[in-house]
Amino acid sequence: MLWYKGWLETRWKLLFVLAFYTAVFIIGANTPPPAAESKVAALMGLARLSTMIVMFACVMMAGTGITTQPSFVVTKGLHGSTLFTLSLPVSRFRLLTARTSLGWLEMAGVVGSVCGLWFTLPLMKAVVAPLDMFRYAITLVACGSVFYCASVLLGAFLEEVWRIWGSMMVVGALWLLCSKTPVPASLNIFRAMAEGSPLLAHSMPWVAMGFSLGLGAILLFAALKVAEMREY
Amino acid sequence: MTDCIIETKQLTKSFKGQPALRGLDLQVPRGSVYGFLGRNGAGKTTTIKTLMGLLRADAGVARLFGVAVDAADRAIEIRRRIGFVTEDKELYPYMTVEEMIRFTRSFFPKWRDDLAERYLKLFDLPPRKKIPDLSKGMRSKLMLLLAIARDAELLILDEPTDGLDPAATEDVLRELMAIAASSGTTMFFSSHQLSEVDLIADHIGIIDRGKMIVAGALDDMKAHYQRLQVVLADSGQLPARWADGVESVRQEGRVVSILASRNVDEIVEQARSVPGAKVERFPVTLKEIFLEHVRSN
Repeated sequence: MLWYKGWLETRWKLLFVLAFYTAVFIIGANTPPPAAESKVAALMGLARLSTMIVMFACVMMAGTGITTQPSFVVTKGLHGSTLFTLSLPVSRFRLLTARTSLGWLEMAGVVGSVCGLWFTLPLMKAVVAPLDMFRYAITLVACGSVFYCASVLLGAFLEEVWRIWGSMMVVGALWLLCSKTPVPASLNIFRAMAEGSPLLAHSMPWVAMGFSLGLGAILLFAALKVAEMREY
Repeated sequence: MTDCIIETKQLTKSFKGQPALRGLDLQVPRGSVYGFLGRNGAGKTTTIKTLMGLLRADAGVARLFGVAVDAADRAIEIRRRIGFVTEDKELYPYMTVEEMIRFTRSFFPKWRDDLAERYLKLFDLPPRKKIPDLSKGMRSKLMLLLAIARDAELLILDEPTDGLDPAATEDVLRELMAIAASSGTTMFFSSHQLSEVDLIADHIGIIDRGKMIVAGALDDMKAHYQRLQVVLADSGQLPARWADGVESVRQEGRVVSILASRNVDEIVEQARSVPGAKVERFPVTLKEIFLEHVRSN
């Protein structure tokens, strides 16, 4: 039932993300095909757009399953249904892991839709091999996980509205860090989702993917600790 | 088996240096209906949140069913035996009444469908309505249903009738009394509505500024407490020192009002010894006991 609760919490967000992506896709599908020499630029554009959509999905779908309502929709106090949730015979670990797993799967589902839909375009079929698109989807999920877990960590001590703003600031700060400092190319998660991705490099960015998943695991562990320690 | 389902000893909790609980001692006997009274900000909700493991005490011990509330390995087992109605009565806004019932049911192996059905009808709760479409009274009743149907040994109710209209309050209190009478469930409820505590509680504890100032069986308290009205003669002088048990003395002209908590006969004799004094004894209401203790604290 915790998965069901998580689904009810996230279904409108998921729909919103998918609607946003569909709008982007429709615009993209109606754009005139680029000249042959600019196909790399088109793929680059596609990769950057996909990266943005994935990050948006990560920020939207993340949550802890404990604090689920922003304070402005709560009629009394600041807790919303948090006290009811925490009075159930369920550990905070289980609450957080169920909600986090569901959100992550939804994020992966968004990525699957993104890559699947792009691949229906004749232009993309002409320039991208199916295997590369599949590898690209896996890269996006792995590299997006660090942003997803960062958002979960913020959700462990911030309410929903601040979590979303905070997550966007974290994404911006990491992008600045990666673009303005000499971060090794193999560790650069943003590069792994764009010019270093299987779409353009035709190989998996294993180091960046491993780095993202490792850092994501650390952030998730920190979120669990915060949720367990926090008072309500 | 412990005689007390809830027990705290020297429970202390502060928020940013502001003490909320200052060595609270509380004992709630098994099977009792315990009214936990106090002014706003006295520490009632802090106590309840500490018992529910939502807050951690700075010092002291809190036990439920004889188990320390901070024993992480037993926390889930303890919560399975408790029905909790929160102060804010907030539930999931994205669920309907029947979804809320189905969701809660899944966590309690002893869930009583018959009770859930009964209270759904009794409280006239619309199963397909979403939580935000329910009035506060309806949400309170739904929370109560969710707490009762899990067949809990202990109900912890934080201001269960807060915000309810008189008719809804009456419904809820009547049902609480019926549950206490029929199932022997221990009830611990906080309130600042003295009339409802007087109606259903058999034990009370009055908390003020984070400390328990009076606690015990309500009947004993009412039996021991009495108000004496002394009408003095023109030249009458009150004793300089009263016998033990005088909680307060108020004088308006020749009329003196004395609240006594024990040794009432001795105090009456002392008052009668004043030349020309007429003494009358009156029973005391819970409100008088509460106000006297809170004011003098």
